[in-house]
Amino acid sequence: MSNSNLFLKSGFVRAPLQNGVGRYVCQLQRIVLKFCKSHGGSRGMRDFIEQDLVDFARDNPSVVVYLKPRRHRSPVVVAEYLNGDRVWMSMQNKTQSEITKWIENMRTQQGDLSAVRLRKYQYTDHPSIQGPWTPFTFKNPELNVAKLPNPKFGANDRLPMSATEQLRIMFEKQRISKEEVKEEKKEE
Amino acid sequence: MSAAKRVQQWATFARTWHIFDCKWQDPYQSADLIKKYLMGMHKPIYHPMNDCGDVVVCINSRDIALRGDEWKKRAYFHHTGYPGGASWTLAWEVHNKDPTMIIKKAVYRSMKGNLQRRHTMERLLIYPDEEVPEDVLQNVTNQIRQLRLVPTRLDHIPEDEVRKFPKVMDYPKDYVYK
Amino acid sequence: MAFVRRFITVIPKLAKHVPITVQSRNIKRWVAPTLMELKRREDKQGGKVTNPRNTFLEWNLEAELYAFGKRLNEEFDSDLLLQAFTDRSYVIKEEMKQKELEIDLKMKDNRELAEEGRKFMQEYIQLYLETVLHKLPAEGIMCIRNHLISEKVLSNVSFHLGTKDIILAAEYPVDNSILAQTFEALVGALLQSCGEERAAHFVRDFVITQLQGQDVNEFWEIEDPWTMLTEMISKTGSELEPRLIGEVAKNTLLACYRVGLYLDKKMMSSGFGETVAIAKEMAAREALKKIFGTEETMHPINFKLNGIPKSRSQSKISAS
Repeated sequence: MSNSNLFLKSGFVRAPLQNGVGRYVCQLQRIVLKFCKSHGGSRGMRDFIEQDLVDFARDNPSVVVYLKPRRHRSPVVVAEYLNGDRVWMSMQNKTQSEITKWIENMRTQQGDLSAVRLRKYQYTDHPSIQGPWTPFTFKNPELNVAKLPNPKFGANDRLPMSATEQLRIMFEKQRISKEEVKEEKKEE
Repeated sequence: MSAAKRVQQWATFARTWHIFDCKWQDPYQSADLIKKYLMGMHKPIYHPMNDCGDVVVCINSRDIALRGDEWKKRAYFHHTGYPGGASWTLAWEVHNKDPTMIIKKAVYRSMKGNLQRRHTMERLLIYPDEEVPEDVLQNVTNQIRQLRLVPTRLDHIPEDEVRKFPKVMDYPKDYVYK
Repeated sequence: MAFVRRFITVIPKLAKHVPITVQSRNIKRWVAPTLMELKRREDKQGGKVTNPRNTFLEWNLEAELYAFGKRLNEEFDSDLLLQAFTDRSYVIKEEMKQKELEIDLKMKDNRELAEEGRKFMQEYIQLYLETVLHKLPAEGIMCIRNHLISEKVLSNVSFHLGTKDIILAAEYPVDNSILAQTFEALVGALLQSCGEERAAHFVRDFVITQLQGQDVNEFWEIEDPWTMLTEMISKTGSELEPRLIGEVAKNTLLACYRVGLYLDKKMMSSGFGETVAIAKEMAAREALKKIFGTEETMHPINFKLNGIPKSRSQSKISAS
């Protein structure tokens, strides 16, 4: 499946402006709460504003909170981030606890996450520590000066030992021990 | 892209030229080995869309060894496309006509039948004996090890090795060979 | 009914057939008409119209400035902060308006703060880089410093800190040069409000961290690495020998050579190249990187140094 005919932008996992490397900056810039003072769908929103909003504002002095009471309009939360994204979310008929959780979610995001399809779930600036593979990495340096084709490099060196070779080695070992016996005799 | 990164990529994707001596080798067994180098499957950077295959130069393809009585019995099929153009040619006939064809067909057969096959086959150079053009031989920097043992002829073993080899028994000096 | 229910398992599943369809991800039917309608409306307006944030109904400059300070975890003096965000073009525009209305409200612009901030940034970044990349010669450090203070980097930093909405300028959207100048003015304002150390930490956390993940060698372009290397080595008196240690397909277009540099018979670095000359040059560059301590496998730059580091000349004097 190619990406050319899909209009969802794709990107990688990145933190804007190397966020955690220096100090951490909360990416939520301002939050606008629009609600109706009387309509039933804004009930959760009104409860949130009455009970939890002041604590939220006190805990996050870096977020500017705007309240827009509008008659006959459904409750909406618009979050604006430092990279310019605007996240619009309807809070119609949501309970106070749900709204609290959604606002907490928006506070900890770094932009509109649903606008970007992540191509990979990891990111690194240094994909290789020992250096990327090249054909020279595991090459025998003797091949540099060898004149190819050479049976030294061409013959199979992983064949099992033949019976003749095994016998010859056994004979050599036996001969060495015979020589040792002779030397011992001489010493005596 | 900085020069260091450009040069690093050039090195990683460089195409090595390998040489393979087909003397006394089974073409179908060697084809499985050669195709890996042609497709680039011996590299950690392999990907089918990556075009990372190497060049393989096969020499001594005249001295190939088919198993059993395949020389007499194995037949290669060819159809010219015209009606009545089917022909079955035996392996020895094909080999006499063109000594490089058997190993070429063996490598072609060992690969998957996809559109990359024809392109990959272009990277295989086959020579019937040791005579390889000078510029091709200069490019070669690696040798692929053979799969089968090439036995040494008894009269090709050097004399001092024959003398040194431990003997179980030896004929007496005045023995008369029949 | 009961008859049917009893024999329902016996009745063969004639009616059930699996349609042969291939699932694919297509463009939805409503996409094209929606986009066409949006384009029609845009053309009617005469191009895309973006309103600056401060023309919205929900805007409180004081609150924004306070939040800005809190976001950066710094305590700015509020007058200085407002001054830092005021651009010269805005002051001119305001003065023209005030002439018509005959009111005289003096607004200060951010040029002096920007100059102060820029000077401080230059010196501090120089000292910091000298401490962190202590083997790199002065020319290289200057090149990295010039990159960090360049308009491109500063405007990017400024944008992502959220200044584009708060800046008071004549035109919208704001130019990159104005963004960069505002950032310098912020550093100047912080310097005057809180002192050198806090301003230093601010610059460290936002400007110097832009080096994270970047290859430091990209900023300093060395024309002839081989002559530079030979000069440096000749001073120490060691023997430098380049050797060809690998080649691939030398008669083709895709030839690749590997040259290794040996210092007193021990390998110092190696470089790849399309020709032997390029490979030798790259090997020399790698060797220089090793000498300066800025190779690919170097220790990551320390972004946690506190205070203002001493200059090299001072530390040399203290060492002797």
